[in-house]
Amino acid sequence: MRQHSVTYIIIFSAVVCIVCSLFVSGTAVGLRSRIAYNMLLDKQFSVLRAIGEEDVSEEAVDTLFGTKIIPQMIDIKTGDVVEADNPSAFDTKKAAKDPATSFEAPANEARVVRVADQAVVYQIMDEGGALDMVVLPIRGAGLWSTMYGFLAVDKDGETVRGITFYEHGETPGLGGEIDNPEWQAKWIGRKLYDTDGEVVLDVIKGAAGPADADPHRVDGLSGATLTGRGVANTLRFWFSADGFKPFLEKMAGN
Amino acid sequence: MDAEKKAILLDPLFENNPIALQVLGICSALAVTNKMSTAFVMSLALIFVLVGSNVAVSAIRKLIPTNVRIIVQLSIIASLVIITDQFLKAFLYDISKQLSVFVGLIITNCIVMGRAEAYAMQNGPWLCALDGMGNALGYGLILMATSFFRELFGSGSLFGIHVMPAWYETNGLMVLAPSAFFLIGLFIWGIRTWKPEQVEEN
Amino acid sequence: MKLLRNMLDRVGDMCSEKGKFPWLYPLYEATDSFFYTSDSVTTTGPQARDALDLKRMMSVVVFALGPCILMAMYNSGYQANLAMSKEGAVVIETWRHAIVQALGLGFDPNNLLACLIHGALYFIPVLIVSYAVGGLWEVLFATVRKHEVNEGFFVTGMLFPLILPPTIPLWQVAIGISFGVVIGKEIFGGTGMNILNPALTARAFLFFAYPAEISGDLVWVAGGVDGLSGATMLSQAFVGGKAALLAGDYSWMQSFLGTIPGSMGETSALACLLGGVILLVTRVGSWRTMAGTVAGTIVLTLLLNSVADKVTNPMFEVPFWWHMTMGGWAFGLVFMTTDPVTAAFTNTGKYIYGFLIGALVILIRVVNPAFPEGMMLAILLMNVFAATIDHFVVQQNIKRRWARNAAA
Repeated sequence: MRQHSVTYIIIFSAVVCIVCSLFVSGTAVGLRSRIAYNMLLDKQFSVLRAIGEEDVSEEAVDTLFGTKIIPQMIDIKTGDVVEADNPSAFDTKKAAKDPATSFEAPANEARVVRVADQAVVYQIMDEGGALDMVVLPIRGAGLWSTMYGFLAVDKDGETVRGITFYEHGETPGLGGEIDNPEWQAKWIGRKLYDTDGEVVLDVIKGAAGPADADPHRVDGLSGATLTGRGVANTLRFWFSADGFKPFLEKMAGN
Repeated sequence: MDAEKKAILLDPLFENNPIALQVLGICSALAVTNKMSTAFVMSLALIFVLVGSNVAVSAIRKLIPTNVRIIVQLSIIASLVIITDQFLKAFLYDISKQLSVFVGLIITNCIVMGRAEAYAMQNGPWLCALDGMGNALGYGLILMATSFFRELFGSGSLFGIHVMPAWYETNGLMVLAPSAFFLIGLFIWGIRTWKPEQVEEN
Repeated sequence: MKLLRNMLDRVGDMCSEKGKFPWLYPLYEATDSFFYTSDSVTTTGPQARDALDLKRMMSVVVFALGPCILMAMYNSGYQANLAMSKEGAVVIETWRHAIVQALGLGFDPNNLLACLIHGALYFIPVLIVSYAVGGLWEVLFATVRKHEVNEGFFVTGMLFPLILPPTIPLWQVAIGISFGVVIGKEIFGGTGMNILNPALTARAFLFFAYPAEISGDLVWVAGGVDGLSGATMLSQAFVGGKAALLAGDYSWMQSFLGTIPGSMGETSALACLLGGVILLVTRVGSWRTMAGTVAGTIVLTLLLNSVADKVTNPMFEVPFWWHMTMGGWAFGLVFMTTDPVTAAFTNTGKYIYGFLIGALVILIRVVNPAFPEGMMLAILLMNVFAATIDHFVVQQNIKRRWARNAAA
């Protein structure tokens, strides 16, 4: 093959790079808004799953989030609502990494290291426009992975209205059954706190009774004791005084 | 289409399958085959990238200086992969989320690089398009076959639609990546029993 | 006997190369050598370098399995009857109950015969399916490959039911043994060529395919309609450590004798011990492998015990004599690690192979949170490395001899 001069090689490489980067950046710019929209939609669907709304069309999501579901920024430590322009765009993962916008969590079994100072919660309104429940983001260590999800809590500040996980790496068929709607349905109606305000909701081995008779226990997942325990640990951390407890108390107080 | 061109397009399906004979591109074949929909989109993505990179490399093959050819090939492949990834994120967000890094990892898929270096550097764009299409189809064929069995037995469904009768108990091993090893192994066994000339001498 | 011989000879002629059904030869051969000693005895056996032929060796193993088989039947029945007596009124629900009732034996857990028969009704169907389905594959491959059916399967087909819980659905037995025989053995070329122990491969397949039923953190008692399930001793230990074991439902002695729920043949360390003695006395099982495994378990457990107060994992403090009676340790030690095909072949290699299995079991049991039982995984993993161990031992030998000759 013909030998090329150094100048030729440099010019050729430069041209290839420029052409390639034009294509790539063109696509990226052209599709950016659509991708951002998809990511937002994805999160909104997760919130909807937490409150048991499964089959919702894209258009319906838009209307729901304009009227029935209101994202709010809160301060974790005080539990106060904070003014924010666009709470939906808040990047919790990023904020939790940055020391400027997060604090170190006390030692906990959910293995949460840092907590963002602020969190996005979703207020769910009933037909009359009054507060019905609130959807809170949770994350914690399962057996193999960090599990990310949402927990819906009633306006009384202690009754679970729904749970969902949107990202985890648990074993399919065992721990992966945290995605099973039948199991998630068993959470509805359980109570987070005992009379002393301690988080006592636990995932047990075997079957628990119905929610009104056995409010502080949820059925274990067959063959996945440790994932179940991870979910319990996650709740114990996020609904303690270091998590959403101040917020829930204020909400229930009002 | 004459016989030679037909061979270029069809040989990679069974005669010279990139996965079954050359054993390339295995990692993504294990990772994305637990559902048919992800395997299908992955196959489409590979068809796009492989045909595109083959044609692009072939079109400028006489201009590429030998000593930087690998870098040039890689830049072209990487650009195509990023574009594909962006398109999937924009139009097939759910599937792109499930495919996660594996679309990006097409860059390191040995089939793409291998065809660019071994074929596109010597042949014209039209032949290269056929070659890229053939090899990507060969890859897709194995992916689809693997995911067919994995989804059918592992989740009892095909393309997300439940097809197995209610009494069928799903097989958890099929959901785990190692099952693709067994399946691809069985395919290779089958193909080589059918075409004994593919068996390596030892 | 003469009649049988004559009949077999006649069939043999038909199946010979000149006969009508040459493709049936493997089947004929298997039947013939089941009843009579084979005409052709392996001289340079792939497995045992002594005068024992494969068939004799396998017969010894099956004989050594005797105590475990009896225990499997008795204990499955005992646990079932115990569960039924706890539930109170005896309800005749399954065909097993009907048979026991028809025999007039009742369901008293203290009645030895009643337990044995009731348990046999769980064990025998599993055994039949294991032999029938596995044997079918065996014959199929032998027919296609035109070789004789190997006796090796006689043992595999027996081992597999023993490492299954009594409540296992029969269709899972069929799928499991198919996978074990085909993927675990035949694709490598059949008996003597396999890398992995086929019975354990079959068990591992079920373990990952149907984890909710067989992953080992729950045990299976064949009882009333649904069967009872509770935490195994291993998973109790994982949560509560030694204290949980001491306070648990079962004493060490029970665990040693095997009157606890679990996989059918694995519960009794005593039965395994008897089998082990038979294998050692007849020198069919390698004492080196067994010694290595025992040493590996003891050493690693003592090591973990010594740091138990510095970690939060309660499993660290469980002593080795508990580890040895719990789960599949004893059964695996006697019947799985000593499998001559999949174990290391060199004498030094056997110590290393055994030691690593013994250590790995404890590591998996104690440190790995997902799998309460480690014997199966430890043995399968070391099966893979057995050839590598041998390779290094042989290389070491060659090097030493080189050095010796160079010096001379």
